[in-house]
Amino acid sequence: MSGSNSVPVTEQGMKIVGFLCNWCSYGGADTAGVCRFKQPTDLRIIRIPCTGRMDPLFAAKSLIYGADGVLVSGCHPRDCHYAVGNLYARRRLEVLKHFLPFMGIDPRRFHYTWVSASEGQLWQRVVTDFSEQIHQLGPNPGIGAESEIFEKLGN
Amino acid sequence: MFENATKQLRETVEAALPELNTVVGWRAGYDPLHMTPVFIKNAGDLSKLEWSPFCVQNLSGYLVKDPAVRAQDPSKKIGICVKGCDSRSLVALIQEKFIERNQIHVFGIPCRGTVDWRRVMKLGPLTGIQSARVEESRLVVEDANGGHTFALEDVLARKCLRCAHPNPVIHDVLIGEPVTPRVAVENSYGEVERMEEQSLEDRLGFWKKELDKCLRCYACRNACPLCVCQDRCIAETREPRWLTQRVGTSEKFLFHFIHALHLAGRCTECGECERACPMEIPVTLIKEKLNKITLELMSYEAGMDPEAVPPLLTFNPGETGL
Ligand code: SF4
Ligand code: SF4
Repeated sequence: MSGSNSVPVTEQGMKIVGFLCNWCSYGGADTAGVCRFKQPTDLRIIRIPCTGRMDPLFAAKSLIYGADGVLVSGCHPRDCHYAVGNLYARRRLEVLKHFLPFMGIDPRRFHYTWVSASEGQLWQRVVTDFSEQIHQLGPNPGIGAESEIFEKLGN
Repeated sequence: MFENATKQLRETVEAALPELNTVVGWRAGYDPLHMTPVFIKNAGDLSKLEWSPFCVQNLSGYLVKDPAVRAQDPSKKIGICVKGCDSRSLVALIQEKFIERNQIHVFGIPCRGTVDWRRVMKLGPLTGIQSARVEESRLVVEDANGGHTFALEDVLARKCLRCAHPNPVIHDVLIGEPVTPRVAVENSYGEVERMEEQSLEDRLGFWKKELDKCLRCYACRNACPLCVCQDRCIAETREPRWLTQRVGTSEKFLFHFIHALHLAGRCTECGECERACPMEIPVTLIKEKLNKITLELMSYEAGMDPEAVPPLLTFNPGETGL
């Protein structure tokens, strides 16, 4: 599994940031790797202790600065290692999902879900489906780093 | 029309003043369209205190942000004058334990709307303003060139035109009679809905254009009574380092995501952020959307019930569909 976190970007590669909780989904991804399930290589995984640690701003910042997709995955509701972390996360992430399109960011670039450590196959499907969706959407135009005003001042 | 209310306010404050540290209210500002905050400590200052539709400032932020207001004799309460919208900030601050209900004495004022001086100035460039008063549904201003009359609807603040809670939700005394709200909460998100009808690209274009104007002066954050982190705000800390000093639109977007998401389920739509913005960016609109989301998903309206817990500071295991 160790290799799958540092796959080189291919020409058509997309940058998808995955925030996975230590106890369930990170384990699920590991299981998928150990079982040698074929997976797309666009995902860069960031391990978080719990989805309760998932600041919606992590996802917002990634998308604002041009990540093509953000995938958050944790323990199933009621199975949280810390009992309720994912229940807080569920509300915050759902609010974020509704909020992104208001600011002009495609909500299809953001997905959150629940995968347990034993669900390697489910993990394979989640990653595959989400990567496919991101490939269909194409690269994230982002917000654009440079301010128009800044450019005017520069000239 | 407002002379009576001012008189009543002064009398009410005078009666309570011996038991209070300070009363935070409004007084005349540098011209008749502007009011400014005042801190009344003794009866001699009472003649400064005023109430009118120009009393735009939400004073509740002083209770948490002003060291001079906080560092007072704890055995006495602090008096504060609030409109309907301002009172909801107090409720939010009580919910989050920044202030205690029994620490404050609330002079509540039912409000028919406040005047946005920028809208006035856009309609008629005025010079040397001598007087300004609201009569029924008109604003009458006298300046160096004579009298000018404006329809109140054209000069009220945007938040007042969509106000569902003009009567203070908490108060120890009420100055004047309760007024009928302009709209019901469900109907107060018209502007958000018009944005939602646009395409994703148009919305992105709108916010890029608007937020590109942002100077990151943080006046919006400083004016917000619920932005309580002060010098620990992650917009400015070096560790963690969320934002750089670059003048990029993405930085500006991220700053506004920080403000908005930190206020999600907490913002009471008092409109101070928008009022304080020197670039006239409709920043409250961003928070209105978040409030519409929490209203629809969790049936929650911020700043209404001192006992309630803001929805993102809690959870509901039985929630489905999320
Ligand atoms: S974000 Fe704006 S509208 Fe909301 S509480 Fe703060 S200042 Fe008021
Ligand atoms: S007050 Fe206006 S210009 Fe200043 S940081 Fe806020 S949005 Fe930007």
